[in-house]
Amino acid sequence: MNFPCQEVERHNKPEVEMKTSQELLLNSILICRNEAEKCLIETSINSLRISLKVKQADELENILTKKFLRFLSMRAEAFQVLRRKPVQGYDISFLITNFHCEEMQKRKLIDFIVQFMEDIEKEISELKMSVNTRGRLVATEFLKQFI
Amino acid sequence: MASFERVSRALKEILLKLYRAEKPVEIDHHLYEFGSVEYHVQSSADDPQNNYLSISTPLLSQGTMPSYGLSSYSTQMVKQVCSDAVEIVEPAKEGYQLTLKINFAKIPRGKDYFKVITQISSVQAVILCSQLKEMLRNVNSQDTSQGMNKPIKLVYHPREPFYVIRQPQKITAVFPLRFKEHSDVIIATAFFQELMDVGSSEKWAKAPPCTWSPIPPPELRGEPLEDLSTNGGFVSFEISSRHVEDKKLDKTVWSLLNFYAYVKKHVKCTRGFIQRRMQKRLESLVEVLHKEKLEEKEDVKFKAHAECRYVGKLVRLSKPKNFKRRCRDLTRKIMQIRFRIKIHGFRRFHRRWLTIPNFSSPLRYTKLE
Repeated sequence: MNFPCQEVERHNKPEVEMKTSQELLLNSILICRNEAEKCLIETSINSLRISLKVKQADELENILTKKFLRFLSMRAEAFQVLRRKPVQGYDISFLITNFHCEEMQKRKLIDFIVQFMEDIEKEISELKMSVNTRGRLVATEFLKQFI
Repeated sequence: MASFERVSRALKEILLKLYRAEKPVEIDHHLYEFGSVEYHVQSSADDPQNNYLSISTPLLSQGTMPSYGLSSYSTQMVKQVCSDAVEIVEPAKEGYQLTLKINFAKIPRGKDYFKVITQISSVQAVILCSQLKEMLRNVNSQDTSQGMNKPIKLVYHPREPFYVIRQPQKITAVFPLRFKEHSDVIIATAFFQELMDVGSSEKWAKAPPCTWSPIPPPELRGEPLEDLSTNGGFVSFEISSRHVEDKKLDKTVWSLLNFYAYVKKHVKCTRGFIQRRMQKRLESLVEVLHKEKLEEKEDVKFKAHAECRYVGKLVRLSKPKNFKRRCRDLTRKIMQIRFRIKIHGFRRFHRRWLTIPNFSSPLRYTKLE
């Protein structure tokens, strides 16, 4: 709901980011698949923040995840609900305010976020596979020269 | 730095231009390639038969001792490659390792001239390869000279040295690798893992066995620490006699000299590939969001349009029909009040038989005669 700032007149700030008034914050939820994969949902009276930590099995997945999510975060204005900097300890964060809920349908927003999460995991797996396949092809071409 | 192409394109173009020129041309070109290779092409209109090509290239130096001038083996290799039209000038011009005198008149006319000029343009690669060829030629020799197993450090580029270790029946080439960024190290490491996997398969049994390790191999123990501190690990190739026989020697040497360039090109291309892929994915994700927004907007528009039509319909139907309906209701009520007793069929009877004739109204105008 639309809840103007209690501290400053004519200001409307997402309370989940400011955290100035404890009575406006609701209980946060942490969903963990394991230590490496978790989702933190922080709620407040006028906004919601979802932070995700993506699975990274090895060093290659680690750098691919960092590169890809940083790439998306730097272009956060294209997604509107994406945060430019993820919350500490997480790989990517969404910030949804009451204004977003007014502009967009809530059901479709939820679908978008769930789809986004699935697409990221799929994309990182595909990237890793592509990098390894390229490496294999290049290695084959290099060794051909000796035969 | 050794590149993938042996031929210098710029030099080839200049030599072709000189060869095809109808009149004698005055040329004095200095060409610089890869930051360390220099060519000097001279041609005088007074002496069109003799054209001079001088080459300065960093040679493979051994350890801290820089190498000056070409070895006899290198000179011999250059003579073998270049045709009768080319003669080595002794001594070379000042500041250059090699000076060649080219007589274009002796180059055969027809299709062969292109091949000859291409060979002359690849002289720098020949010089570079000849030094390593000299070392790899005698893989099977049972030479028990001093320092047989001592690694020989070859420095072509100051930051990219590599080691050649002579062992019985084989020669091992070890490449310490360094990268500027951490992500490059990871991509290169993935590549080296694939190189080892492919090399160890049966299909590639004829290729030299390749190993990668993050720590220096035992053969390099005793070498200075600054040379052994790397972030990309160490790649080793074991070259045996079958890799250096006949024409394979040239290919093997060229592949080893270009290994650094090959790895760096692969890392660079992979980074570009990842960037392109991410951009494409971003576009598809944003498209999904915009599509949903467009669908929402279309839904809202459709609803608004439907509501308007319904409201319009209501407005259109209201005035005349309502009025008529009200009048009808009113007359019915009046008639109900007036005719309290309802007799079926009386209305028809009343209309036919009990209607009062219409007299002319006194208010109407009558013509006076």
